[in-house]
Formats: sequence, structure tokens, C-alpha cells
Amino acid sequence: MRWPILSAKSTALRAKTAIALAGAALLPGCSWIRAFDLNGHQSTIDVEGPVARTQTNLFYVTCWVTLVLFIIVGAVLAYAMVRFRAKTEADEHAVPPPQGHGNPLVEVGLISGAVLALVIIAVPTVKGIFYTYDVPEVQKGEAYQVTATGYQWWFKFEYPAEQIAGHGALTTGNELVIPAGRPIHINLRSMDVMHSFWVPKLAGKVDMIPNRANLLWLEAEHPGYYWGQCAEFCGESHAVMRFRVIALAPSEFNAWLNSQMAPARDAHPGAQPATAEATAQFASVRSFGQNETGATGAFEVSPLDAWRRKQLPDSNEDPALIARGRELFSEKTCSTCHTIRGNPSAVGIVGPELTHVGSRSSIAGGLLDNTPEQLRRWIHNPEAVKPGNKMWVTGYVPNHITLSAGDEVCLVSYLESLK
Amino acid sequence: MADALAKTGFLGKEEHAPTKTFVLWRPTAKTGLMSWLTTVDHKRIGFLYGISALFFFLVGGVEALLIRIQLMVPNNHFLTAQQYNEMFTMHATTMIFLAVMPLSAAFFNFIMPLQIGARDVAFPRLNAFSFWVFLVGAIILNIGWFIHDGAPNGGWFGYTPLTTKLYSPNHAIDMWVMGLQLLGVASIAASLNFIVTIINLRAPGMTMMRLPVFTWMTLVTAFLIVLSFPAITIALVELMMDRLFGTNFFEVSGGGMPILWTHLFWVFGHPEVYILILPAMGIISEILPTFARKPLFGYPIVVFSGASIGFLGFGVWSHHMFTTGMGTMGTAAFSLTTMVIAVPTGVKIFNWIGTLWGGHISMRTPMCFALGFIWMFMIGGFSGVMHAAAPADAEQHNSYFVVAHFHYVLIGGSLFALLAGIHYWFPLMFGRKVSEFWGKLSFWLVFIGFNVTFFPMHFLGLNGMPRRTFTYDSNMGWGTGNFVATMGAFLLGIGVGTYFVVMVYTFFKGEKVAKDPWDARTLEWGLPAPPPEYNYLVIPTVHARDDWWYEKHHRSEVAAERAVHAKEDAAHGGIHMPFQSIYPFIAGVGILVGAVGIAVVDADPGPGLVGRKLATCLVGFAILLVASLLWSLEGNDGYHIHPEGEVEGDGHGH
Repeated sequence: MRWPILSAKSTALRAKTAIALAGAALLPGCSWIRAFDLNGHQSTIDVEGPVARTQTNLFYVTCWVTLVLFIIVGAVLAYAMVRFRAKTEADEHAVPPPQGHGNPLVEVGLISGAVLALVIIAVPTVKGIFYTYDVPEVQKGEAYQVTATGYQWWFKFEYPAEQIAGHGALTTGNELVIPAGRPIHINLRSMDVMHSFWVPKLAGKVDMIPNRANLLWLEAEHPGYYWGQCAEFCGESHAVMRFRVIALAPSEFNAWLNSQMAPARDAHPGAQPATAEATAQFASVRSFGQNETGATGAFEVSPLDAWRRKQLPDSNEDPALIARGRELFSEKTCSTCHTIRGNPSAVGIVGPELTHVGSRSSIAGGLLDNTPEQLRRWIHNPEAVKPGNKMWVTGYVPNHITLSAGDEVCLVSYLESLK
Repeated sequence: MADALAKTGFLGKEEHAPTKTFVLWRPTAKTGLMSWLTTVDHKRIGFLYGISALFFFLVGGVEALLIRIQLMVPNNHFLTAQQYNEMFTMHATTMIFLAVMPLSAAFFNFIMPLQIGARDVAFPRLNAFSFWVFLVGAIILNIGWFIHDGAPNGGWFGYTPLTTKLYSPNHAIDMWVMGLQLLGVASIAASLNFIVTIINLRAPGMTMMRLPVFTWMTLVTAFLIVLSFPAITIALVELMMDRLFGTNFFEVSGGGMPILWTHLFWVFGHPEVYILILPAMGIISEILPTFARKPLFGYPIVVFSGASIGFLGFGVWSHHMFTTGMGTMGTAAFSLTTMVIAVPTGVKIFNWIGTLWGGHISMRTPMCFALGFIWMFMIGGFSGVMHAAAPADAEQHNSYFVVAHFHYVLIGGSLFALLAGIHYWFPLMFGRKVSEFWGKLSFWLVFIGFNVTFFPMHFLGLNGMPRRTFTYDSNMGWGTGNFVATMGAFLLGIGVGTYFVVMVYTFFKGEKVAKDPWDARTLEWGLPAPPPEYNYLVIPTVHARDDWWYEKHHRSEVAAERAVHAKEDAAHGGIHMPFQSIYPFIAGVGILVGAVGIAVVDADPGPGLVGRKLATCLVGFAILLVASLLWSLEGNDGYHIHPEGEVEGDGHGH
């Protein structure tokens, strides 16, 4: 097996997928039914927040009304097709039926019926529009504010309530951590083109439009780990502009805030940077296929617990590699685009803030699970992971950045140590 | 009306001295390439539209299959992200502007003048010009496949600022902007022509409330085009100014407003949806009465609902923008207007069922496609109502649920009707009939393939799969649905392939049929198949709504009346036909050169110098100018054909 970091679970998943695909091709009527699954990570049916629930309930109303209409109209149409069909040649050449031109009463009746059916949909629609637009008045006081900004192709999240002296609001990238059971008011902004913020299980999407201050609210009913992604075509790598929302119980959320407010962890102050080429960690360095999945399976079973584990330092981290990685972060000009509070040279604001990147469950705009191997894959050849991205186009290429295998190991060690 | 017109000088009956010079030579070729380049015959122009549309339909279909292959399995890398974005942009642009619209235009051109008892459209040379400009637009849109910059990749909706120079620096978007702009010119010119034709050139007795429904829908569609295309024309001009001259309509750093683009685009874009579906509804409203052998149920209501769809279609554009943060009142208003538009749409379905009710339904191939249309359009219509509920749409917007919805409307709706129309009018156009077995086989392949492709997409969308994504991860639960959809797409491809092979075979070898093989009801079926150049030997006098049906049941009376009119016509000098002209084509060539200059040639290095770009534009403009000048100088003369076929020029001493 050339894939040591993959868990057995994910291998099983891949195997299942392969079997499902083969089955779909070979055994019609057996696994095809999975085409109608509605329980995915981004299901709009299996929802976990009041906003999404309102939207889904309204969907059910429209679904039932139109289904009933479809059955009635369809039954009449089917009956007409069977009953009035010319069955034989003789039928076709029979005397034409009476040349009637219509019946106004029937028309008026049907139009009224259609209008009535629409009213059944219209009432909850209008109610839903007002409820889902902004946090309800009675809850406004307890709403927690965050600002989400879309970039090609990642999301920046800021917490205006959490100000850090000398830095401004607490900032993270691609993972929005929120308190569960509390309305969240999200200001939506864009720095470049149009994007759209969508966490299907929590709320429908609202666009992020340059020169326009949009907003959205959502609430997670209970702690959980949610998948989201950009839903407005925003250029070459739109498909891989993804993010996560992690909802925590209030006390855990506060603990998380405290750890995030702190500057970057200096794991082993005074450690000597490694000098020799350090390649041991990626003994099984392999090249990834184009567009190969970044989902390692680590977040499939209990994603929230897996996320919690990422908050803790790795027990066998190597101080020398980390120290060298920290040097390389400046040498390779990473620091001109990324901020790491606590690393005085890393003050760039073009790319995501990396102060606590090691504690995130995903990297590269939610595309890859945050494992050392995937992180190495990302910095090794960003263009292969996310075509057209700025790190490659305005960083690696014009600055002629090349990383040796040893450099990659050190950088990965440093970034993963930033818990 | 036709008589009154004939008495004016408008139809070229005025006296002329024979002063034509060499440049104003009037082509007379009736066969060969020259006859097609210079034709002003609405039937030939209809064929030109039809052939181009079917060609681009196949191109768009191949693009669709490439998209489906890429999405067949998770994390596929059959296409790169950039190639995929080009594919979905060009698939949509091609299918909408280069396949469905021109295929509808082919029917407008071929069928509509026949249905109103006219000999041509009101402005035959303008009609030819519309086609050539359409073709130029199609070429400009597709040049990208053959040059380094690549095909347009900003989506068919071209949202700014992604399509501004800052984010799309190469010529791909220039070609998209220029191509759409030209298609707009072609569509508006053609539509004005159709409007004037329908209002002015109806045969005596063809009152508005006797117009066949297809012609009515042509009229409504033409008005929609004339009124909606200016919005996108403005948007495209602004975007082009931003891209070429550095204005700031949409350029955010200069204070531009991207939201302005979305409004302008959808003010056009939503009526465009009805531009695609109303002709289809017209075709269905012709086929159902023919094969049910009774008149359309509730004709006035079908016509009125078509017109009200046209009006309401201008009041619902923002339902494409429910997620742009319009606020509660705007969202509620557009939500409700969108529900209202469902009423006239539903009314049409009721009336089609009413038409079947009590009829003698012959299940011929056109009827299969027409009934398939009703079923599929119902599903697409109902999922459309689901989108009208704005909060529910917040989840569905830009997901595969929407992809499923509009393919049910555009394939299950527009395309089924157009395929039905080809089958239906094939005997009139070519005097041959498609075999029932092969016709029905292709119907079932298309019908099943279509449903297998697009029905699972409803579930993919509800399961959170966004559209316009070149890849998806294996852990999202979208694998099976996409795999099934791709299998369906192959089946659909086989179905469409079968359909066209059968059509081509029938064109050469199909069973020959006499006129009116379906025992149809409207005027065009009284013509020989294929119809002669002048259409009607004698302009018919219309007595009833389904006039050919009336004629078939009042033969002697109509024949006597026609004999009288034939004598009157002969006294007027025979059948008047417009001269052919090469200038619409040359004007099109000028526009092609100019458009290449604007959209494809690199900008000149410095200001003040005439570089390649400016030179190309100027050459194109000069050709256009000269062609337009000669076009107006050559005049609108015609010649006369006498019933025996004798030809006599009327610009020469008539």
C-alpha cells in the first residue's frame, strides 16, 4: 500500500465507492438507489439549524403541493392519452371528433385552482423570507458577530468582538468556529470577484459581492462539524473553494477563543535549527495524482472529535525541524503574504492568517485534510492542487521559489506545530 | 392588406429606368453556392438557420458529454479546471444562442410566412443579413477553441468583476462579449422583421385571432427579443468599454458596481428563458390539435396566456438573484411575481390536455415528442415553482437542483418541441416522411436518456452539490448520482445521434409522401411539398382559424373563390418576387473582420499609431459601410413570376 497516512476507514470508503460504481455499471437496480441519497455532508434535507430548517420545511411545502398537482394533472393526462388514443388504422381515419373550441367555465375553474395552490406556497414563503433574512429582533442582543470575506479561492473569517492589541480583530482562514445554540450574524464581504457563502446544513447561501455589504444569519442547534463551499462561480478554482464551520458548546468555544487570541506557539524556544537535509518524515514521499482527493477519512466518523485532536500538539514533533522551518518561512518569502502573530517577520495580509494553522482540520481552502503529507503536497506544488492560486501565480513563479524535500519537511513541521 | 400594399410602391412596382451598373448587379443564381450566399427566400434562410443550429447543437452536445465524463467519478482529471470552465461556459452559450434560438428562428423563417399566407417576410434582405450576422457571432464565440487564449470561460452569465480585465485578462471574454453583442444585433433585426411581417403581411381574412398559435408565439417571442436584448446590449457595451478603454462600470477598484451587471444581465436573461420556451409552446399547440384531430382547446386563452407570460416575463428577473441580498421586500415581491407567472404556464398545460380530451389521438412520432414535452415540461415547471419560494431557493440556487430544473424546461421543454417540430414539418419541407419505427426509437432513447441524466441531479442538488464545479470529493456522497447521470448522458447522446442519422437518411432516401400527410389544420399544409419559391400561387383568403381544415371541408367554395383571385393577381402582373442580393453577406463579412479586430487582435502598442488592431477594425468598418451603401443603392426591386413559370424583370420596362 503506497498510502501509509490513510486510515483503514478511508480505504474502506474508497473500496466501497469503487464497488458501488462497479455495481452501478454491472447490476442495474441494485446500488443505483444511492443516486437518491440525501444524507451527505452538504445535505440540504438533513439540516441542523433553524434557518436551514425553515428553508427545508418550505421546500417540503412546495414539494407536496406540486407533487399533488403533478399526480392529479398527470393522471388526467395519462387517462386522456390512453382513453382517446386511436387504436387502429380505422380509428385514425374515422370521422373526426366534434370540433369543440373549449369551455370557459373549465378554464376559470382550473385557473382558480392553480391560484389557490400557489397561495398555499406563497404564505409560508413570505413568512420565511422575513425570518431567514436577519436575526429575529428578540435574539438580536445575543447574536455573535463575525465577518466572512471571500478571496480567490479561500475564505477569511474575522471576529470583531475579539480584538488583539496591535493586530486588530482575531482572524482565521477557511474554518469558522462558532458557539452552538446562539444566532451568528455573518457580514459577507468580497475582496475580488463574487463568491457565495453556503453551509447547507446550517443555512442557504448569500452572495459575497464586491462593493456591497451583505449579511446572513445562521445558528447551529448543537455542537458539530459542517462542510461548506463557495456557490458562485468565481474563476478557475471555484470548485475547490471550500470551508468548514465548527460549532462548539459555549465553554469550549471560549476556550478555543483564548487559545486563538494567543500568539503563535513557540514550541521549543532556543532549539537549534536542523542543518542537514531532513527527509525522514516523508520516507514514502509520493507524487499525488492530478486532482486526487484530499479527504483522508480522518474526519468521516467523528469529525468534531478529530478536529479536537488537532488542537493538541503532536507528541513527537522535532524541535530542530520546527526551528529550521521557521527560518525557511521567511527565507522562502512566505512571510510577505501570511501573518503569523508571534513571528515578527510574518506580517503579510494577502494570504490566509496562519497563526494557528496547525490547529485547523483542513488546508488549501478546505480542500485538503490537514495532515503532514497533504500539507507537503500543497506547498510542494500549489498549482497542481488549486490551479491558478495566488501563492503559485504571484509567489512561487515570479520569485522562483524552489523547495527541496528537506525544506518541505521543515516547513511542514513548523506549520503543523502552530497549534 | 396585401392588396393595399401591392398598390403602393413598397413592393417594387414603381417604374424604373434601366440604370443598373456593374456594382449593382443583381444575382440570379438559383443553385450552387452563390444562390445560398445571395438568397432572400425565407425558406432557404430558414434552412441556413436550421443547419447552423443543428451543427452547433451537436457541438454543444459534445461539450455536454465532456462535462459529464469529467464528473462521472469523484476527483476525475479528464479535463483541467480551465478546460471544464470553458466547457460549461460554451455549452450554455452554444445551446442557448447557437442551437435553440436559431432552431426556433429556422421555424419562424420557414413556417411563419407560410402560416399567414405570405410570399416572404417583410424585409427579405434584412432577413438574410440577420442570418449572416448570427453566423458571424457564432464564429466569434468559437474562435477561442483554435487560438492560444482559449474559449470564453466566465460562465454564460459573465458575472463581473470576474469578467473584467483584472480577472480575465486575455481575449476569451472579449470574444464572448463581441459574439453575444452580434447575436443580439441578429436577433433584434430578425425580430423586427417578423413583427412587421406578422402585422402587415397576413393574407386577407387572417385576423389576429385566427393566427395559428405558432405564429402568435413567434410574435410574442419577437417582441420579447426586441425589448429584452437592449438590456444585455447595454451591459455588454459597458463591459467592453471597461475592458478596452478602462472605464469603471464594473471595475471595483474604480468604484464600479458588479451588482449592476447582474440586474442588466437578468433583465435580459429571464425574458430569454421565455424566448427559448414560447416558440416551443407554439409548436406543441400546432402538433396536438393535428394529431388529436380537433381544434386547440381554448385558443384565445392559450394565446392570451402566451402574451401574459411575455409581459410577466419582464417582472421576475430578480428571482435569479434571491441570494444577492436584495432585502426582504425585493425578495418577497419577485417571489410572488414568479408564482404568478406559473398560472398562465399552467393554463397552457390544462388547455393542451383539453385538446387531447375527446380527440382521436394518432400516436405518430411528432405526437410522441409533443406528449413527452408536456410531461417533462410539467416536471420542470413544478420545480420552477419550488424555486419561486425564495427561502427554499437559498438552498437550491446554484446547486444541481437548478441544473435539473432548467434542463427539464430546456431539453424536456424547448428541445423536445423543436425535435417534434422537425418531424412534424419534415414532410412539408422535403416531401418525405421519417419512418415511424426509427422515429419512435429515437424518441424513446432521447426520452429515457434525458430522464436518467437529469432526474438524479435533483437529488445531487438537494444533497448539496454546487454547479459549475470541475471536481467533487469522494466523501460527499455524490458519486453514484453523477455516475448514473453520465450513463444517462451517453444514452441521450445515442438517442440524439439516432435522431439525426434517421433525419439525414430520410432526407435522401425517406418515404415520399403527398402533401398534408398528417391531415393537418393550418394554412401551410395546403402547399405542395416542398413549397415553391413563391409559396402561394394565389394568396389564400382565410375563412376560419384552422383554415386548411376549413378548406378541406369546403373545397368547391374555396376553389371558386381562388379562381377569381388568380385572375385578379394575373391582372396585377403575376407573382412578385424580390431580387436576390449579395450585400447582406458582404456586410456580414465586414462585421466579421471588424469583430475580429475588436475581440481577437492584440491591442496596439501605443496610442496615436494605427496598429494591427485599429487597422483591422477600420477595414471591417469600411467593408460594412460600402456594403450598406450599395445595399441601399441597389433598391428593393423584384421580378414577376407568372403561374406558368414565365419570368419578367420589373425594373426593366415593366
